[in-house]
Amino acid sequence: MMILTAKTIVAAVRPPFPYGEELVWQFLFVLKLCWFPLTISTFALNLGAPGLQAAGILSLFGALDRLGGFFVVTAVRWIGPLVTAVVVAGVAGTAITADLGARKIREELDALQVLGVDPIKNLVVPRFLSLMVVTALLDIFAIVFGLSAGIAAELIYRQSLGGFFATLFTNATVTDIAVSALMCTMFGAIIAVVCCYKGMTASGGAEGVGRAVNQAVVIALVAVFFFQFVVTSVVLATNPQLQAIR
Amino acid sequence: MNPERPTVGWLDAPREWLDAFGEIARFGSRVAGIVLTGRGFRFFGEGLRQAGILIFGSALIIWAFVFIIGLQCGIQGAYFNRSVGAPSLAGLFSSYCDLREAVPYAFGYILAAKVGTGIVAELGAMRISDEIDALEVMGIEPVTFLAASRLLGAWIALPFLYLVGIGVAYLASYIAVVQQVGDVSSGGYLLIFWKFQSPPDLFFSLIKGMVMATIIVLVGCYYGYTASGGPIGVGTATAKSMVVNIIIVHIIGMLGTVVFWGSNPRAPIGG
Repeated sequence: MMILTAKTIVAAVRPPFPYGEELVWQFLFVLKLCWFPLTISTFALNLGAPGLQAAGILSLFGALDRLGGFFVVTAVRWIGPLVTAVVVAGVAGTAITADLGARKIREELDALQVLGVDPIKNLVVPRFLSLMVVTALLDIFAIVFGLSAGIAAELIYRQSLGGFFATLFTNATVTDIAVSALMCTMFGAIIAVVCCYKGMTASGGAEGVGRAVNQAVVIALVAVFFFQFVVTSVVLATNPQLQAIR
Repeated sequence: MNPERPTVGWLDAPREWLDAFGEIARFGSRVAGIVLTGRGFRFFGEGLRQAGILIFGSALIIWAFVFIIGLQCGIQGAYFNRSVGAPSLAGLFSSYCDLREAVPYAFGYILAAKVGTGIVAELGAMRISDEIDALEVMGIEPVTFLAASRLLGAWIALPFLYLVGIGVAYLASYIAVVQQVGDVSSGGYLLIFWKFQSPPDLFFSLIKGMVMATIIVLVGCYYGYTASGGPIGVGTATAKSMVVNIIIVHIIGMLGTVVFWGSNPRAPIGG
């Protein structure tokens, strides 16, 4: 997988660039597949976990306006990237592995190589780049829908929204949003490499493609979550202004 | 470069989901009915074998995943509590996060990824190579033998895997809050941590996880059982099952929270 990553990056920056059309098509493909699961998932997760649980305990303190500050932690720093990664890995990643695995089984990849077409440059690079961009873009959607779930939780507890927005905007920093989006770019890269690798090395007939999808999504999820843990600890520990009391 | 691209529309995902939902509900209620009425116990040995496969094949990966989630709960909670000026109360966040929300979700994700897609790949391969038809010819009811025994196996093994998973997440949160961030002493953390949970919470959390697990196994069995179109069809069915599972896991998580803790946060505060 590391070799595939290196080869992909080299192929992406070295001319010629024959993958423009495929890149646009992959971008739209992932976006069309992911928008619906992402909307539902992130709204449901944010309404349940930080929305109602935190609102329940904050209403005991009579401090429901602090929910906005809490949503910076959950929706922006944590759940936004997390749900985006799960949805992209589960929806787009599995589709990519199934697609590439099918081509491998039908020996299309070998045929491409015989024709002198580099499969890494023409198949992996567009998926890699489009998944990086799409994941960061979907992260913004996830944050927007997550915050609207927070607003819904405030409305369920019959609060005015002024306090929510006030604490939200005083606690949110540019660093939070930037780290969230950059982290998602890296998630997209990890998911693309894992899923392309597993798809291109699929073998073993009927069960092979299914097995490849299975392994790809498990490896992608574990790798992404571990990466998120590392990035979050490093960013939070090295940026004390994120923990200032506001 | 490649003219034979499958066309995808903006509304394909919701349409596919609505289509599949009714079919899955019918198939799932049939399988659950077989197990609940005791007919599934005709193949109890097969059920035990499936439970064994779950334990030996998936337990470690489930616990590893839950461990990472527990670490994340710990650091997010520790830093959030520092930012509101109450770092010693980090146990509150991680107790709620671990028990009520994150572990059920993490369990659902990794179960959908490992077990759900695994079942689709296995049953789909059987369907493609006509093994399911062969079972029918031999007079063995394939739904009972393949789907019901997997559900039985899941019900035998997964509650225990889930409870151990909660323990693993607790350990991970403890490591993250007390050892990694270190704003609060071990005793102070554990005092708050245990105060803010009770046995009923554990039970509710278990119900949430088990409902997710049941539906994931049923969705996997449905997509594997109805796979068609050669080896490629198996791959597509596996991918589709993951989409449906992700949405269902989140909806069950939200409904569980609303039902169990929606009107009563069950916190030891006030009167």
